[in-house]
This record gives sequence, C-alpha cells and structure tokens, in this order.
Amino acid sequence: MAMNNDFNEINLNDGDLNDTITFWDKLKNVFRGNSLWMLHYCTGCGAVELPPTMTSRFDMERIGMGPMATPRQADVLLITGYLSVKTLRRVIYTYEQMMEPKYVVGFGSCTLNGGIYYDSYATINKLDYYLPVDLYIAGCMPRPEAVMNGFKKLMDMIKKGEATGWKKYQRHYEDYYSPNQIRSLGEVYVKDEFHE
Amino acid sequence: MSYLIGLMLIVIAFLWQVTLEGFQRKVTAKVQRRVGPRWYQTFMDIFKAFSKSSISHGFIYDFGAMMTLGGTMATVVFLPFSGIVAFNGLDNFFVIIYLLAVGSLGMAMSAVGSGNPWASIGVMRALTQMVGYEVPFMIVVFGMIFGYGTSSISALVEVQAGGFLNWHLLRMPLGAIVGFISLMGMLAKKPYDTPIAPAEIASGPLVEYGGKHLGMLMLQHEFAVFIEVGLFVNLFLGGGGIVAYLIKYAAVYLFATIISAVLGRFKIEQVVYHFYKVPLALSLIQAAVVIFTGLGVEIWL
Amino acid sequence: MTINSLIAQGMISSLLVYLLTKLNKKLGAFLTVLFSGYLLFVIFGFQNSAGEVFSLIHFGEFELTFMTSHYAWYFAIVLTLTYFLVSFFNPYWMKKMVNPAAYNMLFMVSMVGTVGVFYAKDFLTLFIFYEIVVWSSLFIIPMGKSRKTPVIYYTISSIGSFAMLYAIFYLYHSVGSFDIQAVSEAMSQAPNTYRFVFFTMIVAGLTKLGIFPFHTWLPAAHGSAPHTFSPVLSGGLVKVGGFIALITATVIPSFKILAGDLQLMGVPFENYLIMLLGAVSIVVGTLMAIKQEDAKKLIAYSTVSNSGYIIIGLMLNDQVGFAGGMMHVFNHAMASGAMFLSFAAIAYRTGTTKMSELGGLIKRMPLTFAAYLIAIISLAGIPPMSGFASKWLIFQGLASNGMMFIALAAFFGSIGSFLYVFRPLSAAFLGQLSPKHKDVKEVPWMMQIPLIIMSFLTIFYGIFPGRILAYISKIQESVGLKGVEIEGTKIIAATGMWDSLVITLVFGGGFMLAAILFFISPKAKPVDQMNTYTSGEFIYDPDHYHYAKNYYATFENNYGNKKRVELFFDAVALRVKEFGEMVKTMFFAKSVSFSIFWIMLFFTLVYFWGDKV
Repeated sequence: MAMNNDFNEINLNDGDLNDTITFWDKLKNVFRGNSLWMLHYCTGCGAVELPPTMTSRFDMERIGMGPMATPRQADVLLITGYLSVKTLRRVIYTYEQMMEPKYVVGFGSCTLNGGIYYDSYATINKLDYYLPVDLYIAGCMPRPEAVMNGFKKLMDMIKKGEATGWKKYQRHYEDYYSPNQIRSLGEVYVKDEFHE
Repeated sequence: MSYLIGLMLIVIAFLWQVTLEGFQRKVTAKVQRRVGPRWYQTFMDIFKAFSKSSISHGFIYDFGAMMTLGGTMATVVFLPFSGIVAFNGLDNFFVIIYLLAVGSLGMAMSAVGSGNPWASIGVMRALTQMVGYEVPFMIVVFGMIFGYGTSSISALVEVQAGGFLNWHLLRMPLGAIVGFISLMGMLAKKPYDTPIAPAEIASGPLVEYGGKHLGMLMLQHEFAVFIEVGLFVNLFLGGGGIVAYLIKYAAVYLFATIISAVLGRFKIEQVVYHFYKVPLALSLIQAAVVIFTGLGVEIWL
Repeated sequence: MTINSLIAQGMISSLLVYLLTKLNKKLGAFLTVLFSGYLLFVIFGFQNSAGEVFSLIHFGEFELTFMTSHYAWYFAIVLTLTYFLVSFFNPYWMKKMVNPAAYNMLFMVSMVGTVGVFYAKDFLTLFIFYEIVVWSSLFIIPMGKSRKTPVIYYTISSIGSFAMLYAIFYLYHSVGSFDIQAVSEAMSQAPNTYRFVFFTMIVAGLTKLGIFPFHTWLPAAHGSAPHTFSPVLSGGLVKVGGFIALITATVIPSFKILAGDLQLMGVPFENYLIMLLGAVSIVVGTLMAIKQEDAKKLIAYSTVSNSGYIIIGLMLNDQVGFAGGMMHVFNHAMASGAMFLSFAAIAYRTGTTKMSELGGLIKRMPLTFAAYLIAIISLAGIPPMSGFASKWLIFQGLASNGMMFIALAAFFGSIGSFLYVFRPLSAAFLGQLSPKHKDVKEVPWMMQIPLIIMSFLTIFYGIFPGRILAYISKIQESVGLKGVEIEGTKIIAATGMWDSLVITLVFGGGFMLAAILFFISPKAKPVDQMNTYTSGEFIYDPDHYHYAKNYYATFENNYGNKKRVELFFDAVALRVKEFGEMVKTMFFAKSVSFSIFWIMLFFTLVYFWGDKV
C-alpha cells in the first residue's frame, strides 16, 4: 500500500480553469447546474443514505437530480465511502467513461483521509490523489440533509463555473493522476475469466 | 406551405410535450408523496445533454441517432393535430404506424451498433414488446377502417364530431380499453417499461448514449409520445379544437402516468403473454362486433 | 426475336456454357452472366406485347406454344432480373463447386425453364417447363451443404407436380383442350368442374410458394443450397408458384366462375380457404424465422411468411389487394435476393452464415451492410422503400373486405418481421467484431454490382411505386379486374391514399433537421469498440462480449420448441417406411415360413371358395 508521502505533491490549482466567460458558457452552466444526473455507483456504507435522499422524504428530483444507470448518461459520480484498491480500478474506469463535464463528490471521512480504515492494507486513504474531487460531504456517514445540502452547493459551484475537476484531470493526468493511480494499483495484467 | 405547417407542428409538439413531461414527472412525484421537479426540468435536461461532450461508436451509431430523430419528426408532420393536417388526405393510419417504425429501427440499429450487449438485450425486448402491443391496436383500428371505409385519421376524427356521445370511447368501449393498454405499451410506461429497465439492463438501448446522442434520443422519445398519445386522442376521443385537443391529450397522458406510478415491471415474456391474452381477445371481439353487426358504426343512438 | 427462338437459344447457350466451363471454369461462369443478361434484354423488349403466339414443336395433335401477355412479362422480367443479378456471383464460386460445369448449365436451364413457364399458352407447355425448372433446381441443391434436403424438396415438389398433372388431364378430359384461354372460357359454364380443378391445380402453386403445410422444403432447400443459388430459389423460383396461383385463380377468373358459391367476406370460400392457408404460413414463417440460428434458414422462413402475403394478395382478386400481391412479387424478389446475396458475400469472405460466429462486419463490409439494410427495410415494409407500397395495398385490400383473421396474421407477420430481419443485422453486421474476422475485406467489385442494383431498385420503386403499379394496373385490366388507381405519385385505394414522394421528402427533411442538430452540437470523440459500459468490469474478449446466440430466447419460450408439421411429415414417412418393410417381409422375405404361409392361405381360400360354390 502506497503511503501518503509517496505521492508527488504539485499545485493542481495553477492557471485559471474557470471558463465561464462568454454568454454561451454561462448559459451552458445554467443548464448543467440545474440538471444533475448522478451515477448510482455505490461503494462503502454511504449507499444506504441515498435511497432516503432519492425517495419521498427528501426527494432529490425537486432540485433536478436523478439516478442514472450508466456513466455515459451521468454527470456526477458519487463515491459513497471507503474505496478498496480493487474497486478503485473500476471507479477510475467508470469515471473515464463519463461525458465531460463530469463531477466527483466524495462522501464522508473515508474519501478524505481513510476514516476508520485509515490503516487498512486494502483501501485507499485520499481519493483526491486518484480522481479530481469537486466536493466533499463531511460526516460518517452524512445524513440525507447534508447530502442534499452538498448537492445544492455543487450546483451553485457549477453555475459559477467553479466545479472544474474534470479540467484538472485532463491537465494533470500525465504528471499527477496517472502516476498516482499506477503507484497504488500496480501494473494492470489482463486477467479475467476468459484469460486463464 | 404544407412543409411550413409541418415544421410548425414539430415546434408545437416539442414545446407542448416537453412541458407536459415536466408536469407528468410532477404528477408521478405527487402520487409518491414527493415534491417533484420544476415544470421546465425536462427542457433543462435536454439542453444540458446537447451541451455535453459525447462519444461515437462508429458511423452507424451516429447515423442511427439521426435516422431515429428524423423519422419520428417526419411522423409528427403526418399526424393530424386538432384538425390541422399538413398534407391533406395523406394522414393514413398505416403510414403513421410504419413511419414511426423508422424511428424504432434507427434507434435499434444505433444502439446495437454501439457494441454493448445490454443495448442488444434492450432492443430485443423493445422489438418483442412491439409485437405485443401493435397487433391488438392495429386490429381495433382495422375494425374502424372497415366500418367507415377510410384509413385517413382526420376522416376518422370527423365521424366522431358532435358531442362526446359520438366518441369511439363510447362507441367502441372494448377497443378503447385495448387502445389504452397498447398506448401504455407504446409509451413504455410501467408495467411495460421492460425494454429500458434501468435496474436490470442499465437502461437497455440507451446504455451507451451520452451527450448529444442522448439529447437526440430524448427528443425522439418526446416526439414519439406526442404521436402515440395523439393517435389515441384522435382515434378514440374525437380530436377537437386546439384547446379541447390539448386538454384531452393531457388527460390521457396524465392518466397513463398515474397508473404507471404505482405499478411494478413485467418480465418480457409476461408482457407478450399478457398482450396476447386479454387485449388481443378484446380487440378481436371489438373488430368482430364492428364488422359483423355494425354496432358502434351504423347502429348508434 | 421471338419467344420460341429465345428458348431454343437459351437451351443451346446452356450446353455451350457446359462445354466452356469444362474448358475454363471462370470463362463459363462469365458466360452465364452474359447469356442471362442477353435473355433479360430480349425479354425486356416484350414489355408491351400481348397475344402474340409462337409455336415451338408439333407432335401429332399436340404442340408446345407460347403466347405473350402482360402478366407473363411481369413475372418473366422479375425472374430474369433476379437470375441476371445473381449470376454476377457465379465466377467467384466456381472454385468451391464440386461440379461447376453442371452448375452453370443447370443455372441456365432453370432460367430458360421459368421463361417457358410464364409464356406458356397451354397447360402442357406450362407443365413441361415447370418440370424442367423443378428438375434443374433439384440437381443444383445437393451441390451445397447437404445431400439429404433434395429428397424433401423433391417429395413436396412431386406432390404439387402430380396434383397439377392430374388437374391438367382432368381438364383435357372435360374440355378437350390444353389451351389456357379455351379452358378459361369453358370453365365459366362449369363451376363444379372448376372447383375441383382449382384445389388440385393450386396445390402446385402452394408447394412452390412454400405455403403451409408445404413450407418445410423451403428452409431445408434454401438453407443448404449453394450460396449463389439460394437467392434464385427464394427470390425467383418461389414466384413460379405465385404464377401458377395467378393462372388458377385470376387468369381463369375464379371470382366470376365461383360467384354463385358461398361468399366469405366478399370472396368465394375457395379463395378464402387458400387465403387462410396463406395467413397460417405468415404466422408459422414468422415464428420459425425468429428462432433460427443460421441466417440462410432465417431468410428461408421469411420467404414462407412473404409467400403468404403474395398468395393473400393474389386471392383477393380486387383492385387494390391484387396489385399489392403482384407488387410484392417484385419487392420480395429484390429484398430476399439482396438478403441472400449479402449473406453469400459474407460466406465468401468468412466462410460461415451462422450468426453467432459473426459480428461487427459493418466496419469491414460497409456496402454489403448497406445492401442488407435497404433490403430489410423493404421487407419489413417501412415507408421509404418499395416493400411498404405492397404491404399497404394488401392491408387496404383486407380492410375494405373486413377480413379480420387474415389481417391479424398479416399484422402479426408485418410486426414480427421487424424481429427476424433485425437479428442478422444485429448479430452479423453490428456488435463486436470478432478478432478472427479482423482482416476480412469488402467483396470484389463484381459482386458489389448486384447488391448496388438491387438496393437502387428497392429505393427507386419505394419513391416511385407508381411506375410498377401502372404496369400492374395494365395486367389487372387484361385479366378483367379494375386497375389500381394512381395519380402522379399518389396511390389511391377505396379506403385511403398515400403519396410516396411526399413521405420520402418529409422523411428527408426530418433527417436533414436531425443532421443539422447533430452537426452543430459539439463533435463526438470516436472510441474503440470495446470501450462500452460494463459495470466497471474489465472485458477483453469481443467474441464472448457479442450478443448473438438465442437472441429472442424469451419470446421463443412463449410458443414452445416444437416443429409440429415436420413431426407430422416424419410420422407419415415413418408409416410409409414401415408399410414398405412389412410388404418386403411378407412377400420378398428370404425365409421359407412366409412362402409356406402364403401357399397355405391360398389353398385355404380356394377350399372355402369352392365350398361356397
């Protein structure tokens, strides 16, 4: 397991990534900010907070959000809790299949610093090394109110053009995200049920 | 001139159906004791889809998306909208049904062209479901065509003029029931949303669509709904003036929504079995009544 | 040029082809292209000729004579066109044939035979050339995959042949002439004779068309015939059956002769019974086509289904439905010909027609894909292609008569055809390209020609179906029906009308609008074929990731897995065989005991007989 101090630290926020300059950009951001489809991809224990967020009690659809079955249609990827290294490969694959602009939301302390799994040999500690997280929702786990509040915050960020994680990923893929991913995952061998 | 009217019909269909789609989502939410989205949410979704980046799985993937939207928009032009017929006399029932199939074929081709097996499974389900709902519906309309000697939809609307007692809803009640069940199948509303079952096969044919392709498919879906509900309103509720037509349209669509909001999903073989058990039998009875007794056509009040 | 010398030339050319193929395989195959093109060209010249009589041979009081007519020209041009287009594939298959010389000769002989059938003036000529067609195709079929299937083909064909022969002799006995015109006039006074002749004669048409319950030979023969001959069988020879049905029911005007009979839904019950058989074969053909794994068998069953449409249209004998049935002859010849040819092209490059072994071929064979796509749009009856015109006319004909049970089958077959035509498209052309077909190339240019021509004709007559319908209305008038009504590009039936050009233009406009929307949006990034959503799982094997096997498994479960008619035929065959075995043991046994038994029986009978007397 790669330790935190193995990762190269570079300034990811260099340069101005905010592109909300022309009228059309602003208009696009209004649409994007008002219609946010999440990929229903559940890892860890945070998944259990999503059904109440979606259904009658809190009703995520009132702010224009909805669950989507495939990453092609989705705008926002929720990492709902701890990520084992095995799952991380799938998450990165899924993230790369999403259409730009795309956003990542980390749930709870596990995505921030590993939470109670901070010393596990099988989980990663800081999601931001591997994927550009736009927003963290604190809590272990965050209650649906907090989740809704987080989504509202994300929407405001999108409208202002501040949710630029996907551009960071493009710009720093070679020098930051890719080396980090390889360091944790190791070389990828083709090994599935058809190749034995 | 006819082509301009057609273009106008497409614009009306877009504005009206997408607005109503928002209300429909609101109604579903109310049935499920939620607040629901804003009424213009579907506009936001469609415009957002067009603003995103997209991927292409090859020529047929793009071509199919254009073919499905083009074919469905062409069908909108031929459907009579509250007495407005773009091409006089050419609003033939069979033309509309088969031109709508262009859209389905384009979507099926494009989806399978993406190479995702889930898309193939979804298309397989969609085609199987089509065999289920189209046949009873066509048999009912077949009876009507024989009864009045015309397959032009606007002519079938005209024979229902003069009060609600002349509507086919009352003249051919079994047919109207079959038509409504088939309409639910056409709209792919629960319990007939098997082809796009998101939890089983990752939304079926739509699995690989993102960005503008998804936007085009959403538009196609809205136009298809406009045609299918419009067919029911024209054939069974007697069309009417613009206001009456839109009210009837909204009533039918929201009624279907309310039913689907509380139901689960059929398996695909259950769908076919179900359609061939009850609606097909009812449609045959209705057609036999119309053809052999004339009840509802010549004999009425 | 006259028909009799044309037929003589055709027969000589077939011998020439045989000898030249012995010398050089490719040369002989190119000559089939040349000669069939020549035949097509000459036949085309007879477009407006009707009533000209040509005599081939005299013997005693009989003679073989030909007469030109509009319906004969229509069928002849469809068939010669199919033969001509298919012959472009011949040169490329010579290496794979066991006996190329015989193949080329029989190809030409069957082509000439069909022309003879269509232009026959009398039943004797018709029967002789019908048998030439049957026998020549009988010897071509075993050159393909299976040597057993010709037995099925021959058995079912002989049912038709003997029934027809019996009907012809019965007619000669009661009328005293073989001439079709004379028979037709004599029959109008003798409806009782005709009723019998109608059923016996039409059996020949039904067997050749593959109408239920005689449909079993189609999948067997078409599925295992050489890849280049399947399109001829399906697109061409099946239509000979349609022609015999036309002669029996329309040229001899059944609707006038049987006007005194029980009328069911506006047609005599005899015609209605045949239409019901057509309806059953639509349903059976559709259901069986849906579950086939082999593309050629699938297309063969779709032929069963489409033959049902042809027979329904022809039996309607009216202004609209009849025109639809006639036009379907052409549409189906082009569509199923193109489907078979595109699978012949695939087999040429990949060596298989099993759908589960193919996939993703659009990237390697785009033109074949386009030809197949246009053909299936036409076959499924979707508007901008010609198949819609004929299906629309048949539907209108059924609707104005109120035949709801036949319409049920017609609608089911029409919607069901979406299922079976889409399956090869999805499994062979779309989806994942298998690594073993990575280096497949598009077929050579000469094989592309027929695909392009067939696609062009399908589109052209889809936009201007009036061109064909105008000729069909001439045919209708020549056999005493009201011609189908056309006004510019508008086709008018009693129960509605449609305009093919307007539909095409509106569809084109819609497509343009969609294309504008597509191209002003941000450009799409092309991705690899394996880059699909897999729930985040990593998959590397395109073969396993391709959905092609048991495509409609869930739908098939609804109607079970039984071949009932085949079981019946098998049971009959078993009984016949058992009977033969019994006769063999009883009379031709080697053991002495049976001989002693017969001798004893004989003497016992003699004894009792003598006792009585």
